[in-house]
Amino acid sequence: MFGENLSGQIGALVDHLRRRGESSPPNLVEVASVTEVLIATMQAYFRSIDTSIYREFRELSDYIAKARGEIASLRPGDLQNERLPRAGRELEAIVRSTEDATNKIMAAAEAIMAGSPSDPGYSDLVSARCMDIFEACSFQDITGQRISKVVDTLTYIEERVGRLKDALGSGLADEPAHPEETRTGDSALLNGPALDGEGIAQDEIDKLMGEVAPPPAPPAPLAPATKASQADIDALFD
Amino acid sequence: MAVDMQMPILIVDDYKTMLRIIRNLLKQLGFDNVEEATDGQMALAKLKSKPFGLVISDWNMEPMTGYELLKQVRGDETLKATPFIMITAESKTENVIAAKQAGVNNYIVKPFPAETLKAKMRAVLGDF
Repeated sequence: MFGENLSGQIGALVDHLRRRGESSPPNLVEVASVTEVLIATMQAYFRSIDTSIYREFRELSDYIAKARGEIASLRPGDLQNERLPRAGRELEAIVRSTEDATNKIMAAAEAIMAGSPSDPGYSDLVSARCMDIFEACSFQDITGQRISKVVDTLTYIEERVGRLKDALGSGLADEPAHPEETRTGDSALLNGPALDGEGIAQDEIDKLMGEVAPPPAPPAPLAPATKASQADIDALFD
Repeated sequence: MAVDMQMPILIVDDYKTMLRIIRNLLKQLGFDNVEEATDGQMALAKLKSKPFGLVISDWNMEPMTGYELLKQVRGDETLKATPFIMITAESKTENVIAAKQAGVNNYIVKPFPAETLKAKMRAVLGDF
């Protein structure tokens, strides 16, 4: 805007000097006064540029300061050095304790299965092993507390990331919820356990197993000690 | 044809607890001759060392998945007739279709009741 005015004003001065020069050359006073006007105009122009640049930089500086403040409130050092490693250790402990509990419960069940009801000590064995099972089940209380700590950490991150996003403004466009699938081949089939509502149930799988085209070479079970006849084998494919 | 209850069965899972669960379930069903592997590579080596009457395998294992093991078994002249049941947490339709097309005989999704294992083994091996 100001740049256009400046261009117009300089153009007018030059035209004036040119017109003046057609009748007689401009004298020194006229040239000096034109130069004075030109300098004053240029000074005003550069002052306006300074002000607008200064305003832009100040806004940028405020934005960066706000972002820095929000990032600092995320306490990335605390997250990286304390909270996330702690959450990882809690999850590892959960895996270990559930595995320990499962093994204890299975060992107790195996001991009961191996016992004979006709043995005189069978009732005591069952009672003792059932107590082992109860004890092992206490892992649930501890894992519940551990999971709560992990959830707290996730909530902490969620809240602060939300604040950071608010601070940075709505100009931040979300990435697509499901970025373009980069896995290919067999690895694309690895999805892990499904949550409720995901995946398909066993009866649907059974249906699919019946519907999908059979493999090119259907396998037959290993023959037992005696050789199976062709009829036996054929019967297995029915 | 009666099922040979002494036939060797290979169970493959990288989770030792699951191996123990399946081993116990098989024992309850009357199958005592059970060997274990913790991934597809180990399973393939065992399968090549002697004949097995059934493979029960997880899918998600490293370095060789159960799906890759299935494809290797079906691609091997001496192993391709071995019955193969997949027991896995992978329950997407695409997984079931891929496994079926690769030649799996039955597919069980985790967690599963003992009755499901029994029913699928019967469907593959015949009554026992």
